[in-house]
Amino acid sequence: MEKQKYSRRFFLSTSAMAATLAFIPVGVKAFYNNVKKLVIPLKEKMAIKLSINKAKYNLTVDTRTTLLDLVREQLDLTGTKKGCDHGQCGACTVHVNGQRVLSCLTLAATVQGKEVTTIEGLSQGSELHPMQQAFIECDGFQCGYCTPGQIMSAVGCVNEGHTHSVEEIKEFMSGNLCRCGAYNGIVQSIQKVAK
Amino acid sequence: MGFFKRKHEPKKVPEGRVEGFYKVTGSGKYAAEYKLENVCYAVLVGSTIAAGEIVDINTDNAKDIEGVLDVLTHRNRPQIPAFADEAKAKRAGFSLPVLHTNKIFFRGQPVALVIAETLEDANYAASLVTVSYKTDQAKVDFDKEHATVPIAATGKERGSMDAWSNAPHIREQAYTIRNQVHNPMEMHATIAVWDGDKKLKLYDKNQGVNNVQQTISRLFDIPPANIEVFSEYVGGGFGSGLKVWSNVPLAIMAAKQVNRPVKLMLTRPQMFTLVGYRPQSWQNVRIGADANGKFLGILHQAKHGTSVFDNYGEGITRISRLVYNFGNLKTESATVPLNLGAPTWMRGPGDCTGAFALESAIDELSYDIKKDPLQLRLDNLAVINDPDTGKPWSTNFLNECMTKGAEMINWKSRNPLPAQTKEGEWMIGYGVANGMWFAGRSKASASIIMQKDGSITVQTAMTDIGTGTGTGMQNIAHLELGISHDKIRIKLGNSNLPAAPSQGGSTGLSTISGAVAAVCDALKMKLAGYASLQDAIYKDAKPESIVLSDSGIAYQQAGNHLISFDKIFSKENLQTIEVEASSGPGEERQKYAFCSGASHFCKVRVHTKTGKVKIDRHVCVVDAGYVVNKLAAANQVSGAAVGGIGMTLSEEQVVDSTHGCFIGGDLAGYHFAVNADAPIIEVDFINKIDPNINPSGAKGVGEVGIIGAAAAIANAIFHATGKRLRDLPITPDKVLLAKS
Repeated sequence: MEKQKYSRRFFLSTSAMAATLAFIPVGVKAFYNNVKKLVIPLKEKMAIKLSINKAKYNLTVDTRTTLLDLVREQLDLTGTKKGCDHGQCGACTVHVNGQRVLSCLTLAATVQGKEVTTIEGLSQGSELHPMQQAFIECDGFQCGYCTPGQIMSAVGCVNEGHTHSVEEIKEFMSGNLCRCGAYNGIVQSIQKVAK
Repeated sequence: MGFFKRKHEPKKVPEGRVEGFYKVTGSGKYAAEYKLENVCYAVLVGSTIAAGEIVDINTDNAKDIEGVLDVLTHRNRPQIPAFADEAKAKRAGFSLPVLHTNKIFFRGQPVALVIAETLEDANYAASLVTVSYKTDQAKVDFDKEHATVPIAATGKERGSMDAWSNAPHIREQAYTIRNQVHNPMEMHATIAVWDGDKKLKLYDKNQGVNNVQQTISRLFDIPPANIEVFSEYVGGGFGSGLKVWSNVPLAIMAAKQVNRPVKLMLTRPQMFTLVGYRPQSWQNVRIGADANGKFLGILHQAKHGTSVFDNYGEGITRISRLVYNFGNLKTESATVPLNLGAPTWMRGPGDCTGAFALESAIDELSYDIKKDPLQLRLDNLAVINDPDTGKPWSTNFLNECMTKGAEMINWKSRNPLPAQTKEGEWMIGYGVANGMWFAGRSKASASIIMQKDGSITVQTAMTDIGTGTGTGMQNIAHLELGISHDKIRIKLGNSNLPAAPSQGGSTGLSTISGAVAAVCDALKMKLAGYASLQDAIYKDAKPESIVLSDSGIAYQQAGNHLISFDKIFSKENLQTIEVEASSGPGEERQKYAFCSGASHFCKVRVHTKTGKVKIDRHVCVVDAGYVVNKLAAANQVSGAAVGGIGMTLSEEQVVDSTHGCFIGGDLAGYHFAVNADAPIIEVDFINKIDPNINPSGAKGVGEVGIIGAAAAIANAIFHATGKRLRDLPITPDKVLLAKS
């Protein structure tokens, strides 16, 4: 990986400057923007190697690109959903080296050399993963938008062994929001697979 | 109306929704997910003031960024024809002249749109757009403003207010609810693709493709036939997708400007200001009863917020006119214009808000009278006639909902006195409330394409926002025709398909089931026409005398005069057989009133030291006619109840009255119910056919699951604690500070 040009401290201080300047008159703000353009690295690209759903990728990515935008916008793996882009809803949950991870809070540059599994890679060929089958049977969704994230998280929940009671499942699935409120079916799907 | 005869009992229980496979594998394409050659990205810049004017916009720095294609502002955007004159804009039904004015109506109003090669480029450049404003005084504080707005009569007055001014029991209370935001999980998004000057493709998140098509046609002065709208998968709506919002014309303008497909997905914070919300409200309810608890009269007053540029009114007081018998009734309302984005219909619009006040007030009255709140409601229900129009209800089994729900939650075991039941540091309480929603139906069309192998595709422009419309259509087609489920495909959400209204207001299945039944009859008649060329018995066949199966067409009973589909297709040298039909409401609407009803029962525990409210059990029993698909319908109802839990305990969008912005405009600041906030919701149905509403006898369930839920919970909190909470959401601080 290329040597970092700017430290975290530098980034934090410029961000703090931005926040302070938000309430300062426009002329100053414009000046700040000019400075910002000089000091914040604009577009920088780097080469990364990673594996997604067992396929090897050699990619050149914008250093600002999140894993979520990488799979959705560049690799056409749109099963992973963007629900908030802030790590608040869980719709973008994928597995990185087997752990459930929020891809919107993961810069693509940081998954160098890692194994990523998205919903597209969960099933083997045309066979559905038992969790996907359970979600269909228990009607664990309505609109389906949070569903891939719910399923990736549900697989994680079972692997982690947090399925001893309805309450425990609910607690460990509460990072995945469902505005349709299909929580009945989500819990039942997990119970079915955990048996 | 062949449906009621149930000739074809379901052959097997379908394994799941028609689109289930595509949803669980992530392969179904939502609006922003279509892969288009040469697509570029747009990012919105919102105003940072709530009222005033743009004095200057500097986009130079943004344009300097590598990858930026252009930045649109009100100065350089392509002209939207309808915004050139006010009458046209009005006709287009689009109230915000986005990027066509320097006036600012609310904070977050789009003032610039950055278009760039990548999302990252566009995002960064958007941070470099600077705008200077002349700021005006903004009105954003509903609590402060509503007192200045006069209230006016809404709907016809019944009897008189004087008639019950000396009633033995009178309760009068005010109830308030903060702004609530739909927040479907899929953010509103549009990909706009121009083909020349006059043809447009839109991949858009909405609840009605034909509505988008019509609105854009009027805005851009293009014939509707030249606009194709794709919304095959829609990641929730709850009302936010019933209108066309600024992201659609913005993406279209951008695509025109750069002559490339443009993708615009709102950010989650933008979802709080740009695509509607349930407006903040104030209500006052005065209710009177005689010594036995017979309702004598009601006064229901309501005010709610709206925007300064688009007056939105919702019927908050309507619910008081429907559910119970009030001989004397007066309803009044007003809207309060504010410098906020436009509110819009949100799940159970009006009635959801109104039911909280009405059902809370009834509950308060029940404790005044010392009468069981369940019995008080049962004694006053209007299940025979709609008290407002006097028309008989086609069907109304709300009383059965109440008794069934009471059994399920074991209501009779409850201590009639409040604040008596304790378990350690928790206080336990039970609450009940009713919900009702008019059962609407509109006109819709559907078509069937049959292939040589006897498989069919049933299609319509209607969207499925997660309600299970497609699965319901498959069930109905199977019951009507006898063809197996796996031979019935469903196609939805494209404006080129037979026209259908938007999916909303719990009218989707009620509307489309008629069209599906009609097109099934049309298919039978078409096949009978071909069959009659081979067997004369089919000459005078009627839809009722035709029996289809996977093997072919038969007369009156399976196998009788059987002619295989293959034989029909080959003999007539056909590639496909296509039929289309429409169906809509008729004179039954003159004769009857239609409604869906629900009874909510709730058991809560309230922590004595922290004020935390935990829902132990929530039971919802629904009367919505025949239940076409129990799994999907129960999912709708339980999901709505979960929405009700959020509405009652945590959802509030607070406005910062200094800066005019929403506080907590993201999912960390705005809390709707997560998995752990809700128990397993217990749902049941009365499941009795409404024989008049449509050929399937089914009514919508989407709204009634939330209407009344809030009051049931608030009533349970009162029963647990003896504290009456009249301001939603009921957060722990309010519980602790309230007096019993």
